[in-house]
Amino acid sequence: MRTVVITGATSGIGLEIAKLLAKQGFRVLGVGRDWDRCQRALEIVTRVSAPGRAEFFAADLLQQREIIRLAEELGETLRVTAEGELFALINNAGCARGWYMTTEDGYEQQFALNFLAGFSLTYRLLPQLKKANGRVIMTGSKSHNGIGVHWNDVMLSRRYNPLTAYKQSKLCCLLFARGLNDRYAHQGIRAYAVDPGLVRTDIGNKDTGGLVNLVWTLRKRGGASPEIPARTFLYLCQAEPAPEGLNYFRCRERGYSRQVTSANADRLFALGERLCGVQYDKRAEA
Amino acid sequence: MNVFISGAAGGLGRAMAAECARRGYRLFLTDRDSAGLEALQKGLERQFGAITVVYACDLTDPGSVDAMLAYVDGSRIRFDMLLNVAGVDFEGGFMHRDRERMVEIVSLNDGATLRITHAVLERRREVRPFTAVFVSSLACMFPMPLKAAYAASKRFLLDFAAALRQELKDEGVNVLVLCPGGMVTKKDTLAAIRAQGFWGEVTTNPLERVARRTLDRALAGKGTYIPGGVNKVLSGLGRCLPRPWVAAAIYGRWTRAQKKWLGA
Repeated sequence: MRTVVITGATSGIGLEIAKLLAKQGFRVLGVGRDWDRCQRALEIVTRVSAPGRAEFFAADLLQQREIIRLAEELGETLRVTAEGELFALINNAGCARGWYMTTEDGYEQQFALNFLAGFSLTYRLLPQLKKANGRVIMTGSKSHNGIGVHWNDVMLSRRYNPLTAYKQSKLCCLLFARGLNDRYAHQGIRAYAVDPGLVRTDIGNKDTGGLVNLVWTLRKRGGASPEIPARTFLYLCQAEPAPEGLNYFRCRERGYSRQVTSANADRLFALGERLCGVQYDKRAEA
Repeated sequence: MNVFISGAAGGLGRAMAAECARRGYRLFLTDRDSAGLEALQKGLERQFGAITVVYACDLTDPGSVDAMLAYVDGSRIRFDMLLNVAGVDFEGGFMHRDRERMVEIVSLNDGATLRITHAVLERRREVRPFTAVFVSSLACMFPMPLKAAYAASKRFLLDFAAALRQELKDEGVNVLVLCPGGMVTKKDTLAAIRAQGFWGEVTTNPLERVARRTLDRALAGKGTYIPGGVNKVLSGLGRCLPRPWVAAAIYGRWTRAQKKWLGA
């Protein structure tokens, strides 16, 4: 049985991915911030699939030290139950914010969760991914278009615009996937971004405040059910051989911003490595 | 520039620390939350390459502060700036909250702030100009039912800062008092702001901007900083309207807001 890790798996798109993948015979390790919500998600996933098909881990991925702890727990579980193999890592956890808020590390929260958490977790699970010729999937967004990375003030603390911060964080997801392919495609790892489209979830209503909350409440009415993007994640986990594209929407390749270049990806890797205190090219085998 | 920041692991403290680090200042950070301090230290080093010293300390405990000062003296650190950010609030009716919690508001917001201010001023770098910032609150402008102890403790800082500013004027020390409205520093404050509805939204100040402008103004020799136009008007009203009226109006508003927020 192939094992997948899904972050942000207690609600929205992540929960639907967990349900769908468990139903299709994958073993799901879900990650959520809140322990009670993890328990509830575990019940839901078990009910639609089979007992023992899923396991949940509580961790606040906004904080770097929590990511380190989580990676250790996941590594141990993978060692015991999956011979140290991770077939897919789905970095789906994400947030929207209406105000500039920072993590314990002093990083802007949308940047920290939407991009940096996935960057850090992927680094820590790289040996397990290599072992399984695994896949890394980022939850991207069409909103990554029409913007560049603000290299001089990536936390946007000079002039904070919540939407700019969101768009930039999603652009970083695509750049990260690009950079992973540049580095590891020849070793068997493939990375993708999934554009979920407009989906009816609560992302814009959780801890956002003010205008973002209101705008999202109105906007999500026209959105699709989260089951629909979940199918694209399933497709990318099932397709053999591994699809060659980068950005996927409804199980098909979709174009992406011209900002997604190898040069920008390299720059983002250097920045992410500095902010997480890691070095991808020095990652030792577990 | 060596900067001492109390309450550095909280929302405003982190924003202030990041702003200082961006400017290339060296930091001495303290807070009760040692895990938070360590995370912040790492983050500032990684993000800005900042030189940062952290020391976890309970500022309401004189022994704990003495130990920290011994460490400062042992490392021969001298300061050019002090940012008094540490503070607490336990919202709710005075008689509905625990006795010691109420006392803690004053012992941290005022007592500990005096203790640290005295200690850091004694350890200021000689000859060079010094800057001290007190974080008061928009609440300091009014008698505030249901936040009575908090608002009064912040009023203490407002008056103390103004007086100290005069005392130390000729010694090259500038004192600034910051009186912000709500700021989204953590999830709880977001819920509290939302519960206040319209007035919550319009009195809220963006954290990153407050941090930046506070430093700009303090270094420019200003004495008071009330961020936001609406907040300036409200604090003006607070000064000229009869205090019983103000208290009655605020009581009505906060009763409604707290019902919504705390579900009481």
